Amino acid sequence: MSRLTDIPIRIEGPAIAGGPPGGPRSDPAPSPGLDFGVSSSGVSAILTELARLLDQLAEKDMPAAIDLRSLPLSSQDRIELERALGNGEVEASVNADGISTLRETRFCGVWWVAHRDAQGDLIAELLEVTRVPELLACSADEIAAAAHTLRERLSVAARPC
Amino acid sequence: MSQGKSELTVGEMLLQHGISRRRFIKFCTATASALALPPWMGPAMAEQLRNSPRPSVIYLSFQECTGCVESLTRSFAPTIENLIFNFISLDYDDTLMAAAGEAAETARAKAMKDHFGKYVLLVDGSVPTGAGGAYCTSGGRSAEDTLREAAKGAAAIVCVGTCSSFGGIPFADPNPTGAWPVSAIVGDKPIINVSGCPPMPEVITGTLLQFVTTGQVPDLDEHRRPKVFFGNTIHDRCYRRPFYDQGKFAKTFDDEGARNGWCLYELGCKGPTTYNSCATIKWNGGTSFPIESGHGCIGCSEPGFWDKGSFYSPLSSAAWGKAGEVAPRQVLELTAGAAAVGVALGVASAGVSRLRQRHREQRTDNETKGS
Amino acid sequence: MDLLGFARGPALKVALAIFCLGVVWRIVGFALLRLRRDHNAPRRGVLAFLTGGLVTVGSRSWPHPEFIARTGAGEALGYSYHIGLFIVVLLFTPHIIFLGSLFGFTWPGLPSSLITVVSVLTLTLFLAVLFRRVTNPVMRMLSNFDDYFSWLITALVLLTGLAATAHIGGPYEKLLAVHILSVDALLIWFPFGKLMHAFYIFPSRAINGALLARKGAVS
Repeated sequence: MSRLTDIPIRIEGPAIAGGPPGGPRSDPAPSPGLDFGVSSSGVSAILTELARLLDQLAEKDMPAAIDLRSLPLSSQDRIELERALGNGEVEASVNADGISTLRETRFCGVWWVAHRDAQGDLIAELLEVTRVPELLACSADEIAAAAHTLRERLSVAARPC
Repeated sequence: MSQGKSELTVGEMLLQHGISRRRFIKFCTATASALALPPWMGPAMAEQLRNSPRPSVIYLSFQECTGCVESLTRSFAPTIENLIFNFISLDYDDTLMAAAGEAAETARAKAMKDHFGKYVLLVDGSVPTGAGGAYCTSGGRSAEDTLREAAKGAAAIVCVGTCSSFGGIPFADPNPTGAWPVSAIVGDKPIINVSGCPPMPEVITGTLLQFVTTGQVPDLDEHRRPKVFFGNTIHDRCYRRPFYDQGKFAKTFDDEGARNGWCLYELGCKGPTTYNSCATIKWNGGTSFPIESGHGCIGCSEPGFWDKGSFYSPLSSAAWGKAGEVAPRQVLELTAGAAAVGVALGVASAGVSRLRQRHREQRTDNETKGS
Repeated sequence: MDLLGFARGPALKVALAIFCLGVVWRIVGFALLRLRRDHNAPRRGVLAFLTGGLVTVGSRSWPHPEFIARTGAGEALGYSYHIGLFIVVLLFTPHIIFLGSLFGFTWPGLPSSLITVVSVLTLTLFLAVLFRRVTNPVMRMLSNFDDYFSWLITALVLLTGLAATAHIGGPYEKLLAVHILSVDALLIWFPFGKLMHAFYIFPSRAINGALLARKGAVS
């Protein structure tokens, strides 16, 4: 036994958060009574918080987020949470130093956002409560810069050769 | 090192490097998550930074081993390159900058003059005051003089490492150079202590980033350390805590308990009294931390940790010896000495009692005879 | 020097010294006292005199049958919290380490969570004992400062120990320092109050038993 990884370590206690989420799961048809069948208190707490944040977004237009990495979620909890939140109509992927996936859940305004680096490792995972995640939108200065660039290209293309 | 470029906003700097707004938001979000900051701070940080000019940062090194700068350059979030090129204008750092000698000193003087009252002063190493400050000089000036001068125009001072925060190893008994922490020399500026020997890289960069973004000193504990990183003890977040609670302790470094990853309390772990983020953020990009690697915490982010006894002496053991440790032999000497005095007092007390007893008996005898 | 360093360091050193000095002083002072000359003829031989003492040490460990109805509950309460205290002090690993640092050897301990349960039970018994002392008219009449103060100092050690282990009431290093300081206070008070019964109880029963055996009385 010579390497760190050879040393058997057994942790007794609640399991710490599992690894990266899988890709988008097929969404089981939502049951009419919206019965989640959620048994974990951790997942219930997250859902309750999301409800509160959605109210806040609806009334005051105030976005918020829950950092999933800061919460002790077991792999069972993650599966329950994914099942409870389901999939919405929008799925986007942003290519910026690695792929970030933004998936709208079945609850409009709640987005499951997973950021991966260029090596594919998960570097952040959040539940964003917002109209549109900041990462998807374009800012005013970027739009102005784009307009300027396009006009320049058009004027160059229009010149006689 | 850039001079004269700190007038560009961070956003403009980023675009020059081909870093889009989306890449920057993603980067800030990941950084905020890695540093366990509130999730809204990521985009807020991004927006705030993009529209601000890069603050000037001056890094002064005094009586130090350069371990803190070494740690800083290993930061994964944000990386030092990101920090230097994108967020701050590191106008002086004698280890990292390309210039040297007069050129370097001139650069520093210019930065201090141009950004007077606004630059962030980073200091590592303690400040020796013995022998008129001769123990640490640079460019013919003592550390103390350099610090006092630089502090005048600083918006805030961030002490990097235990040496500048609390005195560290030079300050340890017998402190031959008369070393002092920065807070003992400078009294009139906000000071943030990022302690540790060395401090965690992400804690240094995270604190800097927080200050640079918000412009405000974060919530500090009684030792002026940012509570967001120093609010919990190692023990509170240690993954071996279940073993502590069950009373399963490793007795030596290679026994069955140690191999099973049991608690290192008996081997001197100072986790319960040490405040730092080693157990959550971990070292080398989340690889491990001392306890996970099998060695107890030595309490390196606490004041005076070099003088608190052996690293291998458990927290609940007696500790009045010179090195904060007590051998059973010393205990024997103390108790034997005390017992000897006790015997003398006991003999004296018994003597007095017996004398009184004899007098009383004689008096009774006399009364009996007399009646 | 911070509070914890002081508590484990100079304060502990002084407390241990006073403890040893005081205990030895009282034991030696007591041992050298003269017994009043008994002019009666001994009813029984020397052997009975010696063994009588030993028998009494055992026989006084539990009340005589006639008295059990009245004093049995109090005795049981007393035994219970003493056993609880011994378990907590001698079988909790951090304590074993502390004593080991003084004596140079250690012994196996019990799971820490079990010790916590025993501590809580012992503290409850302590409160019951105080309640009894205050509500029972005879006990109330007999009780003095020594009784209450010795109770308080020991209860404080238990309470601060529980607070430290449970991390309740402040930062851990302060809780630990307060606990160790309370132990220092206990050590200093020990030789001068009724806690000395720890050393007196067996010699005093033995001497009484021996004297009674000499007189031919049953003890």
